[in-house]
Amino acid sequence: MKTVLITLGVIAALVAVLALYAAGSYNGLVNKQQAVDAQWAQVQNVYQRRADLIPNLVSTVSGAANFEKSTLTEVTAARASVGQVKIDPSKAPSDAAQLAEFDRAQGRLSSALSRLLVVSERYPDLKATANFQSLQSQLEGTENRISVERGRFNDVVQAYNSALRRFPTVLFAGMFGFQQRAYFAATPGAERPPEVKFDFGGKK
Amino acid sequence: MTVSSFWRNFLCCAAFFLTASSLLRSETIPPRPSRYFNDYAGVVSATRAAQLNHKLAEYERESSNQIVVAVFPTMTSESSIEDYTVRVAQAWAVGQKDKKNGAVLFVFLKEHRMYIQVGYGLEPVLTDATCSSIINRVIKPRFRANDFGGGLSAGVDAMISASRGEYKGSGFTHGEGRKGRFSSIGSTIVFFVLFLVFSGLFGRSRQRRVWGGSRHMGGWGRSGGFGGFGGFGGGGGGGSSRSNDTFSGGGGSFGGGGAGGSW
Repeated sequence: MKTVLITLGVIAALVAVLALYAAGSYNGLVNKQQAVDAQWAQVQNVYQRRADLIPNLVSTVSGAANFEKSTLTEVTAARASVGQVKIDPSKAPSDAAQLAEFDRAQGRLSSALSRLLVVSERYPDLKATANFQSLQSQLEGTENRISVERGRFNDVVQAYNSALRRFPTVLFAGMFGFQQRAYFAATPGAERPPEVKFDFGGKK
Repeated sequence: MTVSSFWRNFLCCAAFFLTASSLLRSETIPPRPSRYFNDYAGVVSATRAAQLNHKLAEYERESSNQIVVAVFPTMTSESSIEDYTVRVAQAWAVGQKDKKNGAVLFVFLKEHRMYIQVGYGLEPVLTDATCSSIINRVIKPRFRANDFGGGLSAGVDAMISASRGEYKGSGFTHGEGRKGRFSSIGSTIVFFVLFLVFSGLFGRSRQRRVWGGSRHMGGWGRSGGFGGFGGFGGGGGGGSSRSNDTFSGGGGSFGGGGAGGSW
């Protein structure tokens, strides 16, 4: 009788410990997931900041005498295609293909912008205006912010994904609907386009 | 089946960490500075360095903004300057934690490059365009004339005047304020222990009453504004360290704002 009670007590204690452990790791996952979504919002924020600079850039550049129109239309088209990518701003995508599509659209905008700035090199009058110089430094800073926030996004996604994969969390994480989140691909063309250094002769 | 997938995951993770750590190994993040103005390359006279350091400490007391200057002989990283300096500024935690109002001016002599990293909270005032003009119009001409002291001094003045008014200071630097907070925590703990001892002494004979009167105890706890004594501690601590103007990062964070240039 006594041994039965003791065994039952031990089992109950074990169950309680397991339940506490599961609750702890569940809460840990929730926190990590929140961190991923918060960082995703930050990524969206810096991309939005870049998109907001474009109308001003376009009007400044098109004000310059006979500026090459093709590079301008390329920028506005790339910006429009970024707007067409349907992506949830409040929740980081778990679908890698969706993130890759978003990334491709933003990458197109990056390269269109860098081409525009390379072309503007041929217009010394434009380059000398205070408005253009200010836009140029803002674009540079925004590209830096994008690279910083993307890097941090990958860091928090990595922390979350590896927590999700760890034993024994992996056994119940699926039950509560936790999914792996996608990373940004570290392709040099998308993440840090070499031309977008804007290292013009005038700055040296 | 599951075993093999477990090993695959394990290997993936291992590969990820190995590449990550080998990437990080190629650079060294310098340790947190203990001063606002840090001339590791020895290009500025000691009196001027002390004067600039004092100015920046006073500026933190006045505005709570932390501005740090770091002049290095060379850059100890293979990544680009904007990438590297944002990591350093973040590691140094320049700026107050809640306001994120830090900014760091980095100068690398051998590379002839400089960069102003701006914390999130100062981005509205020290915009990329402002930083770019401070670098190119204020600092660069003086550096080209080999006047490092003058360039840094004018750069500091420009950063201060651009960021002044955004936040209000407490009259103490983060390091001085922290001492005050520590002593107030200390006095709270002392009073809490005393309270426990007394309630134990008086409550022993009539334990039921004490349990019943738990609401009463709550009242005591709340009225325990003993933290006020901590204020004295803070003042004292501030007074003693006021003369040496040491820098202590408040926990600010950086998102890549700012601008750079070369001379």
